Amino acid sequence: MAAIEAEKLRRTYRQTSGFVRRRTKTIEAVRGIDFEVNEGELFGLLGPNGAGKTTTIKMLVTLLIPTSGAARVLGHDVVHSARTVRRNIGYVFGGDRGAYERLSGLDNLRYFSELYGVPPKVQKRRIPELLELVGLMGREKERVEGYSRGMKQRLHIARGLLHDPPVVVLDEPTIGLDPVGARELRNTIAELAQAGKTVLLTTHYMYEADALCDRIAVIAEGEIVAEGTPTALKSVVADRTVVEIEAYGLPAGALERVRASPGVTSVSVEEREHVQLLLVQAPKGLELTQQLLGCLGDVRVGRVAAREPTLEDAYVSLVTGS
Amino acid sequence: MTSLRIFFVGGLTSYRALFNWLTPWILIPSFLIAPLFQILLFAYIGRTTHLESDRFYVIGNALQYAAVPCLFAMGNTIGGERFQHTLPLVLTTPAGRLPLFIGRSVPVIANGFVVSGFALVTGSALLGVHVPISAVAPLVLVAAVTAFSCTGLGLCNAALGLRVRETAVTSNILFGFLLVFCGVNVPLSSLPAWMSTIAEGLPLTHGIAAARQLAGGAGLGKVAGLVGAELLIGCIYVVGGYALLRLMEIESRRRGTLEIA
Amino acid sequence: MKALRLVAIGWLFQMKMLSRSSFDGLLGILWPLFFATTAFFMFRTSHDSRALLYAALGSSVMGIWSSTSVAASSALQRERWYGTLEAIVGTPAHFSLVLIPITLAMSTVGIYSMAATLLWGRFLFGIGVHIVHPLLFVIAVPTTVLAIGLLGFLLSVTVVRYRTAWALGNALEYPVWLVCGFLVPLSLFPDWVRPISWALAPTWGVRAIRQAALGGAPLWPVAACIGLAALYGIAGTLLVDTVLRSARRTATLSLT
Repeated sequence: MAAIEAEKLRRTYRQTSGFVRRRTKTIEAVRGIDFEVNEGELFGLLGPNGAGKTTTIKMLVTLLIPTSGAARVLGHDVVHSARTVRRNIGYVFGGDRGAYERLSGLDNLRYFSELYGVPPKVQKRRIPELLELVGLMGREKERVEGYSRGMKQRLHIARGLLHDPPVVVLDEPTIGLDPVGARELRNTIAELAQAGKTVLLTTHYMYEADALCDRIAVIAEGEIVAEGTPTALKSVVADRTVVEIEAYGLPAGALERVRASPGVTSVSVEEREHVQLLLVQAPKGLELTQQLLGCLGDVRVGRVAAREPTLEDAYVSLVTGS
Repeated sequence: MTSLRIFFVGGLTSYRALFNWLTPWILIPSFLIAPLFQILLFAYIGRTTHLESDRFYVIGNALQYAAVPCLFAMGNTIGGERFQHTLPLVLTTPAGRLPLFIGRSVPVIANGFVVSGFALVTGSALLGVHVPISAVAPLVLVAAVTAFSCTGLGLCNAALGLRVRETAVTSNILFGFLLVFCGVNVPLSSLPAWMSTIAEGLPLTHGIAAARQLAGGAGLGKVAGLVGAELLIGCIYVVGGYALLRLMEIESRRRGTLEIA
Repeated sequence: MKALRLVAIGWLFQMKMLSRSSFDGLLGILWPLFFATTAFFMFRTSHDSRALLYAALGSSVMGIWSSTSVAASSALQRERWYGTLEAIVGTPAHFSLVLIPITLAMSTVGIYSMAATLLWGRFLFGIGVHIVHPLLFVIAVPTTVLAIGLLGFLLSVTVVRYRTAWALGNALEYPVWLVCGFLVPLSLFPDWVRPISWALAPTWGVRAIRQAALGGAPLWPVAACIGLAALYGIAGTLLVDTVLRSARRTATLSLT
């Protein structure tokens, strides 16, 4: 049996605006997705902001009712057996809100232990274990308002594990963390998977998914556009090469010229501080550099390099649909 | 001309942006239900204790509600901006401070004035209090003057907002002081002497006294002295509040407490 | 038994949290004092020590309702603001067992205000509080606190869709003080007000406290208080399920 199953899962939001004359607009956040996460698997849900990741997660952890379709956690329906699902799932969301800031981390954990129905005897053992796991031991008696962002995020993880759930769902847990904190957190997540838990992780950081996940589903505009192991996803672009060009101030129309250039399969631009980084994908073996520079006209160009595609390139290619 | 623009445009937008009191979900409970029930509460206590007539309580409490937006809105203007981290931005602009802060008070005065008028009309109707038609115009004048003088106190409150964080708390406490001291429900003669002495120096006291006489049939000429006193006290508080604002501003710039939200 | 433990621990947790915001707490005590002071001045003119004691007991309960009405009406909004609402709803605990301790803690804090008002009356206005049935008084006070806390619970669930419910909570302060006869006898009101007063537990709470202090039969009002509290609890619990289901359907759990 799969630990998590989603079947034609769909969710729309209705937005109303105006006070006197109310207008409603329906937004399709998740457009009927199917996926399965096996027991003990670390599964990544990857996608840009607004792709429907959080909406999917919230349906799985019973905070949202699907508009149509169904989802099951360990065989329990998320709508009809919501309480059973809640007992079996730990939910960790990113960001630094979600704790009672005036109280200590320990108080927060104790309170939520009660809400999860963890017996007092078990609490005495589990809370120190979790504090140790997330590296908050020694700081647990301080008020949460004094915690750093990373500490708050780790407190969330501890909270999500209080009832020792077989399934753990983490929604962008490393968002806004500094690189060191993010790496520590990834280690913790890997440990969870090693301990035999089923982990569903959402992120928009490619290397995070690449490093952690057994399998990945790429979600874009509410639909799953690809699913497979990181290696399998990379094979989408395995026959391509990536040309990176640094340009100082792209002139209007240059991007369109590059895109229309023969042989180019996909183009994306990353805005950096003073420079735009142009990423051009093309079939392997095609020598495009001169041709591309020609398209750019007389703009000042910095570093130019060709390299092997990464998971990120596969992702860009999938999300932009090329 | 520039000052005028800061006065009107700045005043209105900050009022809107900072607390959205213009939504009916807040306006109705805070400015219509609350004053009405305050009038009823004290009028019924008055009936129990046979102290004063219903009219006494209608006038006192309705006029006190002219003060509520003035205290809260002025305080929130500063507190709210600090909360949204826009205070340093506003204070670093070269805009003249007096039109800036006074400008913020104009919609507030208007608000207090409307609230007061509504409470007066509905309170009188519910309790069957009769106010002569001829007294309406002078009462409007008195309510406006009272709202103005309370805004002076609101300005002091706003200045405090530069120092202490919780202007909502200070606004509530000031409201409470006005309730007890200014003869809103207890005639000054029933208060201990030291309290009525303090009351003489507070905004609201003379406005209420004038309004009670007007509602009792007195002409505007008879209460001119009281209205003048209210106006004078209002001016003193406005000037004092402005001075305090400048002082606090300089002080907080020196101590670097502006950013602290 | 488990439910009772959850409520008790939740209550302790909330009390701890409330004790950390002394500035708000200060206002909670001062605010009713302004009204009590005004009432004392008004009742003092009657030169009747019994009337003053009547006023002191009634106004001492004002603070219990004040701290509950404002805080309870915005209780859910506050959880949303902290970002904890989703975390709570995601637990298997029944939501009413999470919410009841919150509003109960708020009404409990009102006891401070009650004590402050009685002391204020004692030392500034010389209102001697002589209690005829001390034991019944000790029963009447927690019963009132319990009933007001559960009324707060029902209120918090009822206004859940109201974004600026704090404003409503503020506005509900005076009507309850008035209609529940904290400071004036119910007989002064028009007849149609009476059923409203009877349906509100604070009416019976303040009556029980008065009868325990001044002499009378406070057990009946205590029983009415408990009965109404139970009704509020049941109604609120039934409502919670509907409200939560609709929030999960309309995606309003996380909105601030």
